[in-house]
Amino acid sequence: MGVVHGEEMVLNIGPQHPSTHGVLRLRVKTDGEIISEITPVIGYLHRCFEKHCENVTYDQVIPYTDRCDYLAAMANNFGYVVAVEELMELKIPEKVEYIRVIMAELQRIASHLLALGVYGLDIGAFTPFLFMLRDRERILDMFELTCGARLLYNYMWVGGVSHDLPKGFVETAFQFLDYFEPQIDEYNKLLTHNKIFVERTADIGVLPADVAISYGVSGPNLRASGVKWDLRRNAPYSIYDKFEFDVPVGDGAKGTLGDCWDRYYVRMLEVKESVKILRQALAQIPKDGDVHQALPKKIRPPKGSIYSRTETPRGDLGFYIESDGSPIPSRVKMRSPAFTALSVLGEIAEGWMMSDVISILGSLDIVLGEIDR
Amino acid sequence: MGLLENRFQDNVVVAKLDKLIGWARSTSPWYFQFGLACCAIEMMATAASRHDLERLGMMPRSSPRQADVMIVAGTVTMKMALRVKKLYEQMADPKYVIAMGSCATSGGPYWQHGYHVLKGVDIVVPVDVYVPGCPPRPEALIEGLLKLQEKILEERPLTRKMA
Amino acid sequence: MSADQEKLIAELVEKGLAGDMDPINAIEDRVLRSKAKAALAKAKRAAKVAAASAPADEKLAEEPPADTTPSDNPNQKFGKMIEDKFPGSLGADLNDTHIQLKPDNWFDIATWLKSEPSLHFDSLQCQTGMDLGDNILEARYNFHSMTHDHKIEIRIAVTRDKPNIPSIEQIWRIGDWFERETYDMFGFHFDGHRDHRRMLLPEDWEGYPLRKDYEVQETYHGIVVPKVKEGWE
Repeated sequence: MGVVHGEEMVLNIGPQHPSTHGVLRLRVKTDGEIISEITPVIGYLHRCFEKHCENVTYDQVIPYTDRCDYLAAMANNFGYVVAVEELMELKIPEKVEYIRVIMAELQRIASHLLALGVYGLDIGAFTPFLFMLRDRERILDMFELTCGARLLYNYMWVGGVSHDLPKGFVETAFQFLDYFEPQIDEYNKLLTHNKIFVERTADIGVLPADVAISYGVSGPNLRASGVKWDLRRNAPYSIYDKFEFDVPVGDGAKGTLGDCWDRYYVRMLEVKESVKILRQALAQIPKDGDVHQALPKKIRPPKGSIYSRTETPRGDLGFYIESDGSPIPSRVKMRSPAFTALSVLGEIAEGWMMSDVISILGSLDIVLGEIDR
Repeated sequence: MGLLENRFQDNVVVAKLDKLIGWARSTSPWYFQFGLACCAIEMMATAASRHDLERLGMMPRSSPRQADVMIVAGTVTMKMALRVKKLYEQMADPKYVIAMGSCATSGGPYWQHGYHVLKGVDIVVPVDVYVPGCPPRPEALIEGLLKLQEKILEERPLTRKMA
Repeated sequence: MSADQEKLIAELVEKGLAGDMDPINAIEDRVLRSKAKAALAKAKRAAKVAAASAPADEKLAEEPPADTTPSDNPNQKFGKMIEDKFPGSLGADLNDTHIQLKPDNWFDIATWLKSEPSLHFDSLQCQTGMDLGDNILEARYNFHSMTHDHKIEIRIAVTRDKPNIPSIEQIWRIGDWFERETYDMFGFHFDGHRDHRRMLLPEDWEGYPLRKDYEVQETYHGIVVPKVKEGWE
């Protein structure tokens, strides 16, 4: 079959663009409509997080971690706090652990809802975006009930949490879960099995498993390529080993294993698993206990370093903390999952057309705040 | 208005041309969604189901040439500052800028050790309304937009400016 | 700075060197507190230089004879395997937290770490840099194996005058971006990297920000960079 070769053109997508999930710039070399090379240029949101960490105390770092991955702020707090507590070898009361898991799973649902809604918006479907944001607002209401903030909470502190669950939180949460579970079927009817959506996402941007591991991809992106790796199951932290849940893995139902549709569907299935974990946690949470009893008077970890990982909605978030015995950290490095997910774009987007690039970028679910820190 | 009031039927309104133009402009400002960081998510939430912005006449536009208001939502870094200026210059007159969030107002939580953060977007573009908060609630952003509407209403585009 | 203030700061620095940071943190006046902290940091740096030049052979004479029983700790186990296969590549003694290597044949060691079936470190988890003061920069790598589920940490120290380390981006593809970021923040030079340029900061930025003695530049393309605006502090 004859192939038409056009002239090579260098295009620029971004940094201001409605579908680039933040300030990302893509330098694209195209041959007609087909991409021959794509280079992401980042750094437009570099807010010097690591320099700030070297100048403030350990608990003052927590609001800065919120603002890195602003769509899943609880998960960032969780990752940092788990790392510092491991360095200090603190023992956390059980009620605090349950509260943390409940908040982390609610945040996982909220983050996935936003990611899937915005993905639909990129493809062109406006209604799922409005529906998913409406349900996300109910979760944000619950967060606001507890700690007063909608998006950036500063909730998890080293040794505890900032506010106890208010009266009536458990009932509100159960009401929300009963309302929300049938909604997942509605989303599947609206978007997941929609013929246009499937045609735009299946078989596109296939990420093989070995390439994914070499690029350090983790989280739903890795699970969609068939690798069953979830930090909550394989390297449990906090009290995740007490709960029963499955780890959804992509299976190439609509096309090839590891395509965009798999990445989308794995996130949808993870929302269901989070609902399962939430039901168990809300039923088992101890009724009384003081959430501030284990807060250390002075956060002064012993000299040493630690690298610890937790599972956020985007993948595994790693914190490398080095302490020299003073109340101010010597170095905090945040290894973000979206950084590795974006690095793989240059490899999997070549050979596809321009509109497929937007589809692939949306399926990777990146947040520029986390990439640039 | 003196001579002309109450002289006509009920469905005839008499007003100054300034006010008429101000009313038309202020009730449909199309905003340029310039979401950079966390405040962009609150801007999206303001435009979504619960706090609907379109009922106030504000439609999101992705191109600066079609927009009236630029909502700078999020931290502006040095690398981005030059592009913000370029985008501002591409907007057509009359144009307004809202600095949303504390990062756009004055550098936000990154003011002290942020070597790469622009301490306030008013260093590169002139700002009309500042909306504080980190991030500001959707209700706060709506109040900022309503204040902008008041400001537009008070403008007198037809008066010749004395030198 | 007045004479009383200088005396007060000298006292606070003495206390801080002994490990007591409370008097400094209790000062109400922000300017004075930051001056005290800066003086403390300078004194600590000077103390470290003095300590490093103290003879190290005293320490060696005190050490007990080396323990030859194999340890279960991955850093010890694999450090020993690396030393057996590539003699002379260890930069310090084996310990429980990390393996210290010299930068010379790092590329061969890294290839072996990934290809050797019993190790199979197929995932580079985190790569970062540290400014240890004293003209020493250190690159740290955290590896993890998905097949065997074990992990190690490797550290490579270089001096500021010659911060060259072989690049491993061809072995673990994420090394490409990690190394560019470490170069951007610290100023390492990764030999053999195919695309060695800055990642997060603009191309024409001066300096390496995460070094401890970084001074921010005054203006960038005409925009004032530091925090001082009129009416602040």
